Amino acid sequence: MKNIIILLLLFNFITIHAQTTISSAMFGSMEARALGPGTMSGRISAIEGTIKDDGKTIFVGTAGGGVWKSTNAGASYKSVFDKYCQSIGAIGIDQKNPATIYVGTGESNMRNSVSIGNGLYKSTDAGDNWKKIGLDSTEHIAKIIVDPINPEIVYVAAPGPLWCDSKHRGLYKSTDGGQTWNIVLFKDDKTGCADILMDPTNPDIIFASMWQFRRQPYSFSSGGNSSGLFKSTDAGKTWKEITNGLPPKPFGRIAMALAPSDPKNMVAIVESAKTGLYISSDNGETWKSQSASLNVVSRPFYFSTIVIDPKDPKRIYRPAYSFSYSSDGGYSFSDASNDGGWLHSDLHALWINPTYTNVMYTGTDGGVYVSLDKGVTWQFNQGLPVGQFYHVACDNKEPYNVYGGLQDNGSWMAPSAAPGGIGNGNWLKVGGGDGFWTVPDVDGQTAYSESQGGTMSRINLANMKAENIQPQKTIKEEKLRWNWNTPIVTGTKNPKNLYVGAQYLYKSTDQGRGWKKISPDLTTNNKLKQKQEESGGLSEDNTSAENHCTIYFIAESPFDENVVWVGTDDGNIQYTIDGGANWTNVSANVAKCGIANQAWVSSVQLSQFDKNTVYATFDNHMYGDHNTYLGKSIDMGKTWVRIYNKEFTGFAHKIIEDFENKNLLFLGTEMGLFATLDGGANWFRIKNNIPEYALVMDMKIHPKTHDLVVATHGRGIYILDNISPISRLTADILNKDVYLFPPADITLTNGKMGWGGPDVIGGWSAGNPAEIPPITYYLKQRLSTGKISVDILDEKGNLIQSLPGTIRKGINKVTWNLRGMPPKVAAGSTKMDYAGFSAPMVLPGTYTIKLKVNEQEYVDKVKCVHDQSNKDLSVEDRALVYNKAMQLQSLYNNLSNVIDSISYYQNKLKADTLAFVKNKNSKVFYDDLQKVKAELMATKKTSIFADEERLRERISSLYGSFCSMEVKPNSIQLEAIDGLIQEFKIQNDAFNKLLVKYLPKNPGLKIK
Amino acid sequence: MKTFFAIALLFFISTQVFSQTLDEIVAKHIEAIGGKDNWAKIKTLKMEGLVKANGMEVMISSLQVNGIAMRQNISVMGMTGYAILTNTEGWSFMPFNGMTKPEPVTADDLKNAQDDLFFHDKFITYIELGKKIELLGKEDIDGTECFKIKMTDKNAKETTYFIDPDNYYVIKETSKVKANGQEMENSQTFGNYKKLDEGIIFPMSITMPFGGMEIQKIEVNPVIADSEFKLAN
Repeated sequence: MKNIIILLLLFNFITIHAQTTISSAMFGSMEARALGPGTMSGRISAIEGTIKDDGKTIFVGTAGGGVWKSTNAGASYKSVFDKYCQSIGAIGIDQKNPATIYVGTGESNMRNSVSIGNGLYKSTDAGDNWKKIGLDSTEHIAKIIVDPINPEIVYVAAPGPLWCDSKHRGLYKSTDGGQTWNIVLFKDDKTGCADILMDPTNPDIIFASMWQFRRQPYSFSSGGNSSGLFKSTDAGKTWKEITNGLPPKPFGRIAMALAPSDPKNMVAIVESAKTGLYISSDNGETWKSQSASLNVVSRPFYFSTIVIDPKDPKRIYRPAYSFSYSSDGGYSFSDASNDGGWLHSDLHALWINPTYTNVMYTGTDGGVYVSLDKGVTWQFNQGLPVGQFYHVACDNKEPYNVYGGLQDNGSWMAPSAAPGGIGNGNWLKVGGGDGFWTVPDVDGQTAYSESQGGTMSRINLANMKAENIQPQKTIKEEKLRWNWNTPIVTGTKNPKNLYVGAQYLYKSTDQGRGWKKISPDLTTNNKLKQKQEESGGLSEDNTSAENHCTIYFIAESPFDENVVWVGTDDGNIQYTIDGGANWTNVSANVAKCGIANQAWVSSVQLSQFDKNTVYATFDNHMYGDHNTYLGKSIDMGKTWVRIYNKEFTGFAHKIIEDFENKNLLFLGTEMGLFATLDGGANWFRIKNNIPEYALVMDMKIHPKTHDLVVATHGRGIYILDNISPISRLTADILNKDVYLFPPADITLTNGKMGWGGPDVIGGWSAGNPAEIPPITYYLKQRLSTGKISVDILDEKGNLIQSLPGTIRKGINKVTWNLRGMPPKVAAGSTKMDYAGFSAPMVLPGTYTIKLKVNEQEYVDKVKCVHDQSNKDLSVEDRALVYNKAMQLQSLYNNLSNVIDSISYYQNKLKADTLAFVKNKNSKVFYDDLQKVKAELMATKKTSIFADEERLRERISSLYGSFCSMEVKPNSIQLEAIDGLIQEFKIQNDAFNKLLVKYLPKNPGLKIK
Repeated sequence: MKTFFAIALLFFISTQVFSQTLDEIVAKHIEAIGGKDNWAKIKTLKMEGLVKANGMEVMISSLQVNGIAMRQNISVMGMTGYAILTNTEGWSFMPFNGMTKPEPVTADDLKNAQDDLFFHDKFITYIELGKKIELLGKEDIDGTECFKIKMTDKNAKETTYFIDPDNYYVIKETSKVKANGQEMENSQTFGNYKKLDEGIIFPMSITMPFGGMEIQKIEVNPVIADSEFKLAN
């Protein structure tokens, strides 16, 4: 027993010890900016609304951006699922108690790039808090139904894993609100449940569609004999298969709907050799085929939604490639109008408000749209920043631009800062299709963008003209194989080099006008993996998404432009040291460290600190293996070690190295962003306002700003501004109680970003980076007791300003506004005076920063420098502006003193109530003082819109302009100061005269 | 049957452990802030605080009579506004927003705000005020992995408290306020916990999204005249 206690103590000690290691929480004050944008948004997989509040509350599930909640019918959205898996398959709401919500993770629109889930979650407080409640291994969840009569009964349709056999699929049922689950319909390891319907008038009647499907890295198959349509009339205890009137099997995916207002009416789209629309009017017992437009029956594996109006059994909606609707029970369909704006193609979700059925929300590959006229016209919801980027790149402009391509939404660029913050309108489209690599040229006026299957363009950013630059095969060569996500990359050592890869590597030194093939086939060239034309299963589906045995990643050495590394989607990793003449394949060496040898080489990072060091990530999820594979070699790939950490989740997409601290690495995976500060021994998950399980596809560290720019597949772009505090957090600093980071020089400027108000066109807005670099310090522990402040002193040691410090554990940031203290504002006005907010910007010089933590002081200097880029303001002008502002501040203070004195006498006079009534002089003195006061400042009762301007307001106004002035002051402004001084003197004299006149007559008053 | 029993027992034990933990946290918190007995002695409170943001200074003072009345004065740039709340009436005068005379608080708001008159630590008063608490696990607040406790009052208003497991002080509280069809989230973080003469431990620094307030002066059990809670003529 004693031993156990000792063991426990020891264990405790270890735990406590471990807690002192680094974690993302330490950098919590460094919040990443979510650039979004909402401009093109991203794929939406589920929409559910709550009936009880008129349908104003809507939950939106996204392909890779978690769950978003709107409480205002879509005017704005808030993310409510940031701590969990971001791929959402289905949402179910208990409409009896709409605070209870179920979210099934793992989208089930089974395209090549679909992500995976990790189970089912439940909230009982309308999305504020979530608990995982099981089905962890289903990976994909298509639908959740909560029994409307007994909400403890919940059904979950799980197609199950896409890339491998698994028992974790089928129709699941819970009768205790999700605490326990039973499988009520299961076929085999290859077949899952794709859809479920419940008769709302009799919840014992259930329909389920079973689907046999499988993807491989190089092919897709939808369909098989295990697929079928099933009906239960005893709440899932027993099932019968429905075939009457349906086409001959095998089936693929079946989408189906019943009419809530008349449930015997049903429709189904059955994928088969003759994919078609089928209609039943006898509760699914018998079916008949109905001819339908191409849209209605298009891509059944991807478009699996069909819905019947809650009130009208004849009104049917089919969101698919486009949006179709029928008013006659499915006999004829029309497509939605584009009046009022294009409705994004590729639709996957529809929620109709059951109370007001004119109102509906649909989810597309490009966000959520709302219709107020039964689906005829649509309006875009601009506030959902759920874009699915594949890659990101930056240029060197100020502010720099970010570039990236998105799933089904082309390629775009946007500035990293913009007046009013980066809004939807700041994004510029530079390429179409599915967008992938989008990279700027070093010339500053050219970009390259690429869409699915290697279609690539050079864009002249001056005139926005694009030229196709894709290399073509010669007559002697095999057909070129271009990956869905083909790399187009500029050189690291020589940024004028441009590389693209099919199965061969191509290089251009003239912006893609000419190409040189610089390699043989670098892939395994396995012909069994090259039968894409047969892909799709029952419905042929070959959109370049399954192209295989292709180059997937290209990296030029930062030391030598003749050293180039290439990774392929079939496991090869090869390099050349002579510009492509010879190639060395090191994939066999990688396999020796325990990384699956056919895995996609998803990224290669060549170290900037050592020419023989290389990091690479490998993605094997397409073989059903979700391990995080990260390898490192320090001998040019001869030997590898696998870097692994128990914190890792998700298969790996990208590894990058900081340019300042060689031990700082960032790893992006399908489920999170991780960092290490010791070269890979210890890792922590990056949070910092980035969803904890974000699908991190790509990252860049900006060489000038030291910003970490992150491309996510579902949450758009994030920028973690200036990561220097992370980069510089050495073990030595970590062990100090307090550490003040040496501040960088600060340029004295009001900034260029102008007005920081809301985005005028609405939608998502990302804000801007801090205009003033913050004072940064580290606290080993939160300061729960005691005071902390940051004092700024000038060269003479005068206190300029004392700022309250923050007390969090880890990195703290405090911003000095580069100004002194505002003047004193006298009380008693009917108006707020904004001089109380203003002080002039300090003059260039060295200022002392004194961080005071209780009794301890930590001191450093910061240099404030003149803004050389502002040609309108010389150093001399700056001094003049400053001196004049201070002169006005002093005038203002004098005025405040006089007002205070007047108030003092007035209060004294009034306090002596007896004298005030009896002594005539008392009342007259009071009134005469009031007259002077009324000249000095606004005194009338008035609304905030009625402007009363007295001397104080005039001084304040001029003072305010000097405080924000960044030009040489003009003569009128300078003369006005003298005028105000004169005016003040007149009033001051008048006041003094009153004192001389009345004080002797009011013996009770003492001179203030 | 045996398995069922074992599982049921496990279930019982685990819930038991869970609720004990919550009670333990609350007990340790109350102890950390000075204990129930010391708090019970506090009838009135007078505070003066200074909010600093970008060189701007706002003076805030407050008077509180536990369970009976409170008044807050705010002085900014030469103007003063106030809010008064008692068992029977409430007023607010915020000239900064363009108000020209004090406005009465609506009867509903007055009723809903009655709990706020009790200024003792919320974990001391929650049972008495009919509130419920629930432990929602842990969450990172400002770099500290805190206990997350949700408190729900009689009007279903929810406030979430985050307690530092090192010292059992409340680091942060957040609440959702619903009004006129809109939902707003309020948050306050607390620091500079200080032991006052009467033995209670009080946060002297309160940070809200727009800025932080340092309490500069605090008087425990001062005499407060009833007139302070009446409108000035």
